[in-house]
Amino acid sequence: MEAALKPPRRSFVREWILTVDHKKIGIMYGVTALFFFLLGGLFALLVRTDLLSYKGLFTAQSYNEFFTMHATIMIFAVIIPLLTGAFGNYLVPLHIGARDMAFPRMNALSYWLYLVSGIILLLSMVFGMPDAGWTSYPPYSVQSHGPGIDLWVMAIHLSGLSSILGAINFIVTIHKMRAPGMTYTRMSLFTWSMLVTAYMQLFGTPALAGAITTLISDRHFGTVFYNSAQGGDPMLYQHLFWFYSHPAVYIMILPGFGIISEVLPVFARKPIFGYHAIAYSSVAIGFLGFFVWAHHMFVAGMAMSTGIPFMISSMIIAVPTSVKIFNWLATLWSGSVEYTVPMMFASLGFIGSFIIGGFSGVIVAAVPLDMNLHDTYFIVAHIHYVLFGGSVMTIMAGLHFWFPKVTGRMYNTKLGYLSFWLYFIGTQVAFFPMHFLGLAGMPRRIASYNPIFQFWNDVSTIGAYMLGLGTLVIVSNLLYSAKRGRKVAANPWGAQTLEWTISSPPPEHNFDDLPVVSSNPYQPYPEPNANPNPTPSPTPAPV
Amino acid sequence: MPAALTHMSQSVDGLFYWVLGVITFFFVLVEVLLVGFLVRYRRTKQNLVGAAVHGNNKLEILWTLIPALILVAIGVFSVKYVYADQIAPAKPVVIQVIGHEWQWEFKYPNGVDTVNDLRVPAGQNVLFDITSADVIHGFDIPAVRLQQDAVPGRRTQFWVNVESQFVGQTFDVPCDQFCGPGHPTMVAKMQVMSPAAYQSWLQTEKQQQNSTSSNS
Ligand code: HEM
Ligand SMILES: [Cu+2]
Ligand SMILES: [Cu+2]
Repeated sequence: MEAALKPPRRSFVREWILTVDHKKIGIMYGVTALFFFLLGGLFALLVRTDLLSYKGLFTAQSYNEFFTMHATIMIFAVIIPLLTGAFGNYLVPLHIGARDMAFPRMNALSYWLYLVSGIILLLSMVFGMPDAGWTSYPPYSVQSHGPGIDLWVMAIHLSGLSSILGAINFIVTIHKMRAPGMTYTRMSLFTWSMLVTAYMQLFGTPALAGAITTLISDRHFGTVFYNSAQGGDPMLYQHLFWFYSHPAVYIMILPGFGIISEVLPVFARKPIFGYHAIAYSSVAIGFLGFFVWAHHMFVAGMAMSTGIPFMISSMIIAVPTSVKIFNWLATLWSGSVEYTVPMMFASLGFIGSFIIGGFSGVIVAAVPLDMNLHDTYFIVAHIHYVLFGGSVMTIMAGLHFWFPKVTGRMYNTKLGYLSFWLYFIGTQVAFFPMHFLGLAGMPRRIASYNPIFQFWNDVSTIGAYMLGLGTLVIVSNLLYSAKRGRKVAANPWGAQTLEWTISSPPPEHNFDDLPVVSSNPYQPYPEPNANPNPTPSPTPAPV
Repeated sequence: MPAALTHMSQSVDGLFYWVLGVITFFFVLVEVLLVGFLVRYRRTKQNLVGAAVHGNNKLEILWTLIPALILVAIGVFSVKYVYADQIAPAKPVVIQVIGHEWQWEFKYPNGVDTVNDLRVPAGQNVLFDITSADVIHGFDIPAVRLQQDAVPGRRTQFWVNVESQFVGQTFDVPCDQFCGPGHPTMVAKMQVMSPAAYQSWLQTEKQQQNSTSSNS
């Protein structure tokens, strides 16, 4: 590997604080979000520890603050920033053959807004934590005392602003900055997923902003949006909130789907199966995602039959997702599968767990079944299978896949496998029993519970500790290896997207000459006898 | 799953098991294909590259249409349960349910008023008329597989007809919509009574409540 043009030594401030380089910004997003991942995980362990006893080990008030902080951090300070801010920023310009994002300064602004939003969440740990859940339904959230909810609203506003700016940046970048020959159908599937995600963020986030602005206005400025005694209606908040937050759950998984579509073909040594189907199913999800929000409100006060159209649309949105699953399976079929760490996270880890969440989604999308299961632990099982078995698994696949590109080094693979198994087994142990609890009638968000639920709660807590351990292994492995890991070549996996054609880490301007692209990055791998080196040199862009 | 007290909840369980069956079939299918392919097509000296296949439109159509048909069928099949849940029978016994921080209040047709003590006559149609005095609560009776939020300024409803074999038994009625620090302990008890016992309970309660209120 030829040494990249040695960048002149720069101060930390110039190198990082003032940077507008999409790769540096991506790394800053990643590091910040991993810090919040540890913090959000700590809150999760507090929640699970409380539930070790059916009486609850902490006060109900503390418990409420813990689960609110846990979910808020995980959604707004970890998963969304990691997938869009870290992976999106780092990869999209490289994948489309651009030198940077369209608006590099705005990109930096997005990061700094996100950081401030995170700091506000940290401050709330000093001044008073929010206690109304990540959904923060009024009137309870209007009534709740202390600065917790106010800080929460501020943090969500800033993270929303950061999302909107980021989304505009991705949309313009992907539409306008593609390298010569990079037609839409030659883009990487990760880029497709980011494009759809960006549109969802752009159209969805304003609804959330409206919801929380009216909320804070009710709290402090005497308005009565959600005060029914004076003509307000608490359900308005739920409609606004879910109009954003259902799309948000897809914002939290689509880029992950994109990561899976990059990882599987590389380690199956095959072109992705059904490129068009996977790309267009993302578009379908993005579109349909705006028509299902009321499936969160089947029992919230609408007529039961009003749920029917939302039930049908929710059933339909499962179709593009299952199309992806079948295409990924077909990508493995007749492949030459190498069990690398990212491949384990992507195949068994992600596909193997995520489908359970997809299936439970179908169950709760059926109105008569949701009449029973809404707001029980069954929902907690569903969201953790899709967000942990789904999003987090894709994040781990992605981190272990692009780590050598970003750092030029390799992590310890033994520890990588260890963390994979801790994650995979921990996920099942922590979250599968929650289905039983929900079916047995245990409500969600309770600090103490009927002793009949004790056993499965204890099992679940053991699983949670396994996940905590797995997280520590991953983070320490990656942090240590970033400095000390074995150096690796520019393309250790034999991958075909454009970032692998340049040095690791890539030079600041990415490409010495803009690549000229003539096919999508999912081409068949040459037969080994045609090329003595079993790792084919990637030829995505015969220049 | 806990006991299912009503004909409706038994048939909803039927729907659940039916959907679960379909899902389990596809779950096993996907997991077997996943693990099967991972093992069968692992990298070996004889198998260094994968097949040069880009896709197959027939398969795409197949695995779009089949899940679509099944999923929409699940949806359509569920519709009749929704209407059965929604359309209350004529002349039910109406019990008013009011959520408070943090307890359930029940008002019976003859004016009797209880806290966290719900009594329902077996074999009769009982309609719950649900609202809240403060924040949103969730009126959930897992044993009948039904719930509705208790929303201030709004009335929600569902109805039950508990089978007489459950007379004498008591069931939990938790609040399942997060409502603050008292949320976990906001659990009422529902006791199933024979219609006669229910009537006499109503009478004695009424006398007691009248005497306490006239005393005060
Ligand atoms: C197969 C497609 C899916 C369907 C049909 C589906 C359906 C549903 C339904 C009906 C609910 C509301 C249940 C209730 O509260 O009673 C729900 C909740 C939820 N879903 Fe899904 N879902 C699907 C996939 C996903 C994915 C991919 C994610 C995220 C990656 C996700 C994240 C969530 C979350 C976070 C909640 C709970 C929100 C809350 O109340 O706190 N779902 N889902
Ligand atoms: Cu949703
Ligand atoms: Cu409650």
